[in-house]
Amino acid sequence: MKKTTYALAMAALLASGASTLAADTKLGLLMDITGPIASFIPPLQNAANLAVQHVNENGGLLDGQVVPVYGDTTGSSQGAVDAAGKLINVENVPIIMGALMSGTTISAAEAAAIPAGVVQISPTATSPAMTDINDNDLLYRIVPSDNFQGQVLAKMVLDEGIEKVAVTFVNNDYGVGIGGTFIEAYKALGGEVVAEVKHEEKKNSYRSELATLSKAGGDALVVVAYAGDSGSKIVKQALEGGLFTKFIGTDGLRDEALISDIGAEALASSFFSAPTSPADNPNQARLHELYTAAYDEPADKPFVDQTYDATFLALLAIEQAGSADRGKMAEALRAVASAPGEKVGPGDWAKAKALIAEGKDIDYDGAGGNYDFDENGDVAGVIGKFVVDGDVYKQIAIFE
Amino acid sequence: MIDFINLYLVPGLTIGSVYALGAVGISMIFGILRFAHFAHGDLMTIGGYGVLTAVWFIPLHPLLLLPFGIALAIVSALAVDQFFYKPLRKLPTIYTVIASFGVALIFRSLAQLFWSSGNEVFISGVRMPVVLFDTFRISELHMQVIILTLIIAIALHFFLTRSQLGRAMRAVSDEPELASVAGLDTERVVRWTWVIGAAMAATAGVFAGMDTSMHPNLGWNLLLAMFAAAVLGGIGKPMGAIAGGLIIGVAEETATYTWFSDEAFISPSYKSAVAFFIMVALLLFRPQGLFKGRLL
Repeated sequence: MKKTTYALAMAALLASGASTLAADTKLGLLMDITGPIASFIPPLQNAANLAVQHVNENGGLLDGQVVPVYGDTTGSSQGAVDAAGKLINVENVPIIMGALMSGTTISAAEAAAIPAGVVQISPTATSPAMTDINDNDLLYRIVPSDNFQGQVLAKMVLDEGIEKVAVTFVNNDYGVGIGGTFIEAYKALGGEVVAEVKHEEKKNSYRSELATLSKAGGDALVVVAYAGDSGSKIVKQALEGGLFTKFIGTDGLRDEALISDIGAEALASSFFSAPTSPADNPNQARLHELYTAAYDEPADKPFVDQTYDATFLALLAIEQAGSADRGKMAEALRAVASAPGEKVGPGDWAKAKALIAEGKDIDYDGAGGNYDFDENGDVAGVIGKFVVDGDVYKQIAIFE
Repeated sequence: MIDFINLYLVPGLTIGSVYALGAVGISMIFGILRFAHFAHGDLMTIGGYGVLTAVWFIPLHPLLLLPFGIALAIVSALAVDQFFYKPLRKLPTIYTVIASFGVALIFRSLAQLFWSSGNEVFISGVRMPVVLFDTFRISELHMQVIILTLIIAIALHFFLTRSQLGRAMRAVSDEPELASVAGLDTERVVRWTWVIGAAMAATAGVFAGMDTSMHPNLGWNLLLAMFAAAVLGGIGKPMGAIAGGLIIGVAEETATYTWFSDEAFISPSYKSAVAFFIMVALLLFRPQGLFKGRLL
């Protein structure tokens, strides 16, 4: 599977390097292919490639085909700026899908995309800081802000009857954002945060942090961190030290790498929050069917829905704008994503292209939600509650 | 007090052992070849992945498969020395230092290419620690790491002081011109420096990877602390590097203990700074390091 992804990514890179036909349009895909969330990425590249494939097989983009160009942020701010700069200045893409992490998305936007006037649409960046960036209407995301996830998580924890928790969050845009909102909301709802420790990424031992956290005697440990970096080390070392047995995680921790690292048994009493799709969404079922048919693997991986939708929306925006003119993208994106308009869903490229050609207004409702942007480029969303079930996560409740 | 041993001292000694084994190579290469080898962390990563690959095929404990990682690291080190560093040896050392940066990137990219950029674990699942006398909870791995590091340190000490090759190494490190005039085979000494440095780097890489997980940035993330350990111990002094590594590891972890109040003495977020604070403080008063190493 990994080999296939690499082959695809390499093929995409080679294709982008080769001479493209004059009528072809490039699409910038900024992803954190290496770094702390590397383990999330292969299915997401599949999802983005699937959207591209749907477009190219159903009439193409504008007068030609769409050529995906990947940029790797390496999971760091510096890398994000470099990769976004290359997409904007060298590849000359009209619009960027990505990045995935909050930190890399914000750096790419502030240092590269916003100054150049390029619209950037992130499928997964959840930091509350993004809402207030002065972005000239260029920065969008299709997951709810952590202001929302933090509040929902606080409610989820109290609903479980857990009234005293210790909290640790990673010291970056993601961790500080969601950790802060959670603590505020949890206290406001009557819970007690007995200890809170901010931790750094990339350390080998978090035992001293855990010692401080466990001393205060919380009933569970809330971990806001990426499983691929500090998250799973913290869970593992807490279990080994006999310090905590119950963990509450956010979407960054809900990574299958955590289960393969720790084992399902040890995580039996833990639960996780993550943005999810509305219950019984036919568009999600439709996408999952298409995805499984194309890649022969289940599609219920984190952020597959959002990545497909963000890629598809970016492509719809180019089609709606009628050209690869950067200045028209923001208006076009709002037009295709928001009501009113004729509904289109995942895979409906031929229909959407025809409607746009007729001059009709369309409204894309994706696998992950309706995506009606507010004035900050944010969307309202749905948060799911997940538990470990065998080797995968199972959604057991939905909070709107 | 029990908490101090279980959660601060033993993990500190463990990470210190990793720093120590990595710093030995850095210190010896610095002493004998006279350049800062920035690819040393990534050499650790390569060694770690060598063992990880062996674990996939041979159902034995990863520590028993260490020779595979060591072999891979030695071959890689000798190859880069032959093709990248040797041609530059006559030029000012800054060329080699920059070349080693490049080699670091090559190693990391190769690791990503062959083993993917995700996290991999040697043994899945949580291993509960051994409980001694109802109070000490020490993970089996930590005991293995600390004991093996001590054995390696003792063996290294006897090798450097008793064997002919070891004495030749110390001679080249102390006075290269004199050693060369005295008829010592410098190229042989250089080769063995790489062999020993790479073997220890691979061991450190496996220890670090088993304590957490293997990923392509594993060694790179540890590199700065290992340099601090090598400088603290005295450049060109392998035993100093071991002492320096252990001191920095223990200092980093124990600095966050609740020494004077219920709050951590130094917030764990800032523990990386402790290594450099110790290094700078020592250099101000004793520029040649703990073990009277080379002055740069």
